[in-house]
Amino acid sequence: MRFFDYIWTALKNFSRQKVRTFLTVMAITVGSLSLILMMSIIVGLRQSIIDAFKSMGAFNLVTVTRDPNATNDNPQLITASNNDPSQEEGRKIDDTTLAAVKKIPNVVDVTPIVSVWAKTIRLEGQDKKMWSNTMAYKPESNVFNLSLLAGRNLNSSDMDKIVVGTQFAQTYGYTGNPQELVGKKAILSYDGGGGSVPDWGPLPQKPPENADKDWWDSQQKKGINIEAEIVGVVDDRTTDNGQSYINIAWARRLMTNVYWKNDDEARKQCEINFQQEQEILKQQAASKQDAEKFDGGNSGCDSQASMKIFKEDNFTKNGYGSIIAKVNDEKNVEATGEAISKMGYGVTTAKNMIDQMNKIFTGISLLLGVIGGISLFVAAIGIINTMVMATFERIREIGVLRACGATRVTIRRIFMYEAAFLGFCGGVLGLIISIALAQIAKLLIKKFGADLGNLPLEHIGNFPWWLVIAVICFTTFVGLISGLYPAVKASRLNPVDAIRYE
Amino acid sequence: MIELKGVTKIYELGGEKIYALDNVNLDVEQGDFIAIVGPSGSGKSTLANIIGGLDIPDAGQVLVDGKNITEISDEDLSAFRNRKVGFIFQTFNLHPTYTALENVMIPLMLARVSLKDRRKRATLCLRVVGLKDRMNHLPNQLSGGQRQRVCVARALANNPQIIIADEPTGNLDSKKGGEIVELLKSLNKQSGITLIVITHDQSVAKQAGKIISLRDGQIT
Repeated sequence: MRFFDYIWTALKNFSRQKVRTFLTVMAITVGSLSLILMMSIIVGLRQSIIDAFKSMGAFNLVTVTRDPNATNDNPQLITASNNDPSQEEGRKIDDTTLAAVKKIPNVVDVTPIVSVWAKTIRLEGQDKKMWSNTMAYKPESNVFNLSLLAGRNLNSSDMDKIVVGTQFAQTYGYTGNPQELVGKKAILSYDGGGGSVPDWGPLPQKPPENADKDWWDSQQKKGINIEAEIVGVVDDRTTDNGQSYINIAWARRLMTNVYWKNDDEARKQCEINFQQEQEILKQQAASKQDAEKFDGGNSGCDSQASMKIFKEDNFTKNGYGSIIAKVNDEKNVEATGEAISKMGYGVTTAKNMIDQMNKIFTGISLLLGVIGGISLFVAAIGIINTMVMATFERIREIGVLRACGATRVTIRRIFMYEAAFLGFCGGVLGLIISIALAQIAKLLIKKFGADLGNLPLEHIGNFPWWLVIAVICFTTFVGLISGLYPAVKASRLNPVDAIRYE
Repeated sequence: MIELKGVTKIYELGGEKIYALDNVNLDVEQGDFIAIVGPSGSGKSTLANIIGGLDIPDAGQVLVDGKNITEISDEDLSAFRNRKVGFIFQTFNLHPTYTALENVMIPLMLARVSLKDRRKRATLCLRVVGLKDRMNHLPNQLSGGQRQRVCVARALANNPQIIIADEPTGNLDSKKGGEIVELLKSLNKQSGITLIVITHDQSVAKQAGKIISLRDGQIT
């Protein structure tokens, strides 16, 4: 028999037991439906997340950090003053690094990244505080593509301006109307820093003569508040990292320590001057006894009067936290990362992130696939049942076919094709229903999508072609396997007995 | 054409061996009209099925054109039945959801004949049995005599050398039965098809050129 003869035979036989055929196909339909929906949710979710990162340009980005194993150019940098020792290891990331990374082929632009020291952030006039989580970058660099809910992005001349995250808007009740946040003030709060303040706002109070521990403690407790005008609200619902952004030029000022200190040079000079004066006085002294009076004595140099304002630029001293480089094409990200790695820096690319994400999604889809597979297994038992019944009902027919010249193989194929065809129909029907369901779900999401918050759902209900083919192949295969036993049973019937069967 | 040598077929029934056929020797020549008669359980059907390659003897040889078909593969034996033999059964055994035409096309479909030729050949066979105007009817829309004619057409489909009819008139009244026998006889006479008819009906047996009478698995 030819292939289409088997299909024709199957169709003719289905029409004999329409209800039973329908019920069997429905079982497979439900099985494939559950499998498809679960898989498509996972595939869609994954695609949505990847797309969200893509629209941010995250896949083209390479983050350059210090590599703790690389030799440090400047061991003096290792100071006890910094509480994070890991930051002190490895090669410093400074403007030279920035320029070197920018020169690497395929790198479009670079920006230094610094996590601003501010401890908390709040909306002016509100008591509730949030952890600041503020990042500084170079707004004029063509690296980030922050999508905004309201307002504008930062520009290079913005000093006391900030772009806040959606969490900020949410905390202060501006989720529905983020544009109203624009123009309001955010307050970044610092610890007192022990008498040192950022290079923004008033100078620190000069320590009084004989300043004691209590005075310095009081300075520490005072704290510093920096006002920043909100110019934009960033749309970070996908990453949900709640980050706020400021211009790195402003961050440089905020992270420059301004403090009072005795001027060492001036004091030295003062001491020398004092010694010289003493010498002169000694020589001028009338008697030896008079001269001895000028040995020692208080120079008066180490006093409040010799104190001076000092500024210490942390970026110059310690370098930037990291650099983010934008690469012209995703394909070149890995090569660029390697080039930077050779320079002695740590490198993170979105590839690591995608790999991680893929691992998680593979795990979830396996789990859901097993659940969907169980329902298909139940459906497979339905096929076996149907086909075993069919062989019993058609024993005489099998005998006649054998008499007419059908081989055992032909009989086996008739039943296997029939079972496979049941599986195929179930798979196709399951697909059609799930596509219809997905369209309905899409409409619902469109209508009520805002209430679903951060979930990226736009890809749910998109069926990649491989899933469509895989599901149909799988249900057909399940049918084929289910038909195996009844088919072999039918093909082994003795034709003479089969024809006589009552 | 077909030669049976020492053919023996044994059934076991409750631990007891029953000889359906016991050392049967038979020569069937092209164009023969043979009637096999005998009481129930005498081995008539077994003999016919062995001649037609549907059953295989436990001992002995079945030589078709000098070739022993008891030793060939299922595929070759099936091809033999398909091309050389046409079976007609007492209970018709038509496929209930196939039309008359589709039923006649079954042996042609198994022979992998093209769809166009199938239709042509099946239509011709139905015309031979006088059912051309009924070819798109389902079996349950046909009378008993008409159904048996469809069976004859089905047996004729691949232009066989031999037709084996197991009680072809058993389910028909004498008038319709007579018509079927006439039809088979004319095929035997005009086309030279070898005809083997199993029958209880003496009037049918009388018309045969050769009568084989079986009793307890032996030709008497």
